[in-house]
Amino acid sequence: MSKETRIPKQPAVMLEDEIAQLAKEILPARDLWPGIEKAINEQVPEAKTQNTGRVFMPTAWAASIVAAVLLTWLAISPNSAQLNSADNIATVMQQDFQQQKHRMLVSFGMPDIKQLPVAMQTELIKLNSAQKTISQALVEDPNNSDLLNLLRWTQQQELELLTQLYSPQWQSI
Amino acid sequence: MRVYFLDKLKIIEEVEPASLDLESQWIAQAQQGDQKAFYALYEKYYRRIYALCWRMMADKDSAEDACQEVFVQLWQKISNFAGESKFSTWLHSVATHIVLNHIRKNKSWLQRIFSIEEQVLEDTLVEMPDTGHYLDSKIQQLPERARLVFVLFAIEGYRHEEIANMLDMAVGTSKAQYHRARNLLQASLSE
Repeated sequence: MSKETRIPKQPAVMLEDEIAQLAKEILPARDLWPGIEKAINEQVPEAKTQNTGRVFMPTAWAASIVAAVLLTWLAISPNSAQLNSADNIATVMQQDFQQQKHRMLVSFGMPDIKQLPVAMQTELIKLNSAQKTISQALVEDPNNSDLLNLLRWTQQQELELLTQLYSPQWQSI
Repeated sequence: MRVYFLDKLKIIEEVEPASLDLESQWIAQAQQGDQKAFYALYEKYYRRIYALCWRMMADKDSAEDACQEVFVQLWQKISNFAGESKFSTWLHSVATHIVLNHIRKNKSWLQRIFSIEEQVLEDTLVEMPDTGHYLDSKIQQLPERARLVFVLFAIEGYRHEEIANMLDMAVGTSKAQYHRARNLLQASLSE
């Protein structure tokens, strides 16, 4: 009976009080300005679309090489038993990647890829093509760590490319 | 009010908090490439931005890196600020997105697949900055998604719809994670 004398909402009230008392400002342990100052003094002016083409040419080359190597590998590799792709790790990785990509595009306001310069669209198409080729190879050999690493690498390249292409837009709110 | 910049941009005298007029002046000057004005903005906001970074990331070093990244990107993009909202609101929005991207970038595909972050960090020794607040230490021990939702909703004041969009989750999931965080924190406070 004595339990009825307790105030049921006490922990909630206590939490609200604690939240209200949280410091709005926290002092970092080290001086962050020198690093910032160094970075902004070393920056070159942004030239968004014009420069990004040059920046990502190595990515396109690498993606092409990956695709070519894998096509060769597929041609000469022995046929192994077909596995259920829904169960392998590559499928999970691709699903995770697609979710991450979607989340990223949502955060950028779902930009229209077709509005990009042709060179950038080509980069994305090549990366996508490389991912498909690798995924196809992984159906044959689902536990091949080299292929899994390649798939992961192409996914990261695509996400980094999207980040660099679109990240300026959400900052212009 | 006058602000004196001496000794490599250090503000050595600030009589009272900067007025909005003075802040507008700093923003306009920074947009023209004035690093002194930008430093003044940094001085005014870096502790608040660091608090946001640290609470979201639960890691001192990562929070420092993210905080620096916020201001480097702010320098690059400050010309995009058109004054349609309060500068502090805009800056917090920019910082929130940068921190979330930072978290995503630093997470391995293995962590993303197996949701390692969902483990409660009960046994983890978290290096704490000196906030002097018990609740901060408990927030740091929340599972990642619960922590992010709690910080964004309860401390930063975002709506669940906004959080759901930022974290790519359903609105109901955001609310569920928030209540999960509250329950865990209340339990901690009752111990």
